[in-house]
Amino acid sequence: MYEAVHARPDGSSTLARQARTAADYGFDGIVVRSHGDAGTPDDVEAVRDAVDIDVVDGIELRADDPAQASGLVGNYRSKRTVVAVHGGDARINRFAVENPAVDVLAHPMAGGGDFNHVLANAAADNGVRIEFTLRSALREEGGSRVHRLRDLRKLRKLVADADAPYVVSADPRSHLELRAQRELCALGGTIGFDAEEIRTGLTEWGRLAARNRNRLADSFVEPGVWLDDS
Amino acid sequence: MKHLPKHLQPRWRYLAVAIETWPDADLDRRAFQREIWYATRNLLGDTGSAETDVTVLRFHHDSCAGHAIVRVRRGHAESARAALACLDSVDGTPLGLRVTGTSGTVRACEEKYIRGPAKEPEQRQVVFDNRDRRAVARDGRVDVRTDDGFVGATDLDI
Repeated sequence: MYEAVHARPDGSSTLARQARTAADYGFDGIVVRSHGDAGTPDDVEAVRDAVDIDVVDGIELRADDPAQASGLVGNYRSKRTVVAVHGGDARINRFAVENPAVDVLAHPMAGGGDFNHVLANAAADNGVRIEFTLRSALREEGGSRVHRLRDLRKLRKLVADADAPYVVSADPRSHLELRAQRELCALGGTIGFDAEEIRTGLTEWGRLAARNRNRLADSFVEPGVWLDDS
Repeated sequence: MKHLPKHLQPRWRYLAVAIETWPDADLDRRAFQREIWYATRNLLGDTGSAETDVTVLRFHHDSCAGHAIVRVRRGHAESARAALACLDSVDGTPLGLRVTGTSGTVRACEEKYIRGPAKEPEQRQVVFDNRDRRAVARDGRVDVRTDDGFVGATDLDI
């Protein structure tokens, strides 16, 4: 199982510390999801060599409008293994689910954003993973948590109905915000998911990384076609 | 009061919890217990909270690491785990935690899941972001003091 983490400069722990803590917590790997405009760590390969778990170079792109988002996705698609789009805005959500070059639409309901069956179907058609973020369930309380939990339930229902792919993350900004997978599964169980869904969502990051690494490799021609060495 | 007959005594599970904080944190059992009660009540409500009955039995914390043993009613360990996951700070001090294991007795819990005395943290002067800074190092993990709070790093970053 993988977790997607923010690392310094976008967060208060370095990538090495996040990776080390994730290894202690029993994760198989981490995906970097630092916001592109806040800066991403430049030592991904060094950390990957030094720790026992996989470290995937990814990025979460924040854009003001679909045109800018499109430019950013085009820019980073060939440079990063995992490309996520920072969701929440209705136009950005729509852009992300309609673009097969996007891997993950992160927290589509954040900041008052909304999601519907049309977007969920588009995400399923284009293979864009929708993120269920457990961040607000873990770190908020009172009325705002109630709203976020309600949004999560709605999102889950839409995603399940459209059979769209999804990922799960606690969205940790420092190593103290990481939580182990059993805790996340237990939390998922209390807020309307089942533990298997949370596990699938955490594992999906790893499958996504493996698929994209394969696609970025020199031997890749198109899906199902590759150059064989022998 | 008279002891309850054995079959009426409550059955417990004991969760071993590993705690991590920034080096300037000062936590005690009472504050930790209070935050657990809040977290449980916020997540599970009054009924769930009474059902789970989370109590901190042992608590130890010094500067940046610690551990605790938390008692919950048998059959409710998962909801207690969920509530513990939601504990993100104690008295405004950010907190990282993980349930390292569960057992049926306190002794088994201590022996299997609580590691012996942690290595003493060591004050160090390190170069981080091209500047000389003070840091607290323990077992390869280095918490560097910067102008805007601590930064979590490791030996690799120094």
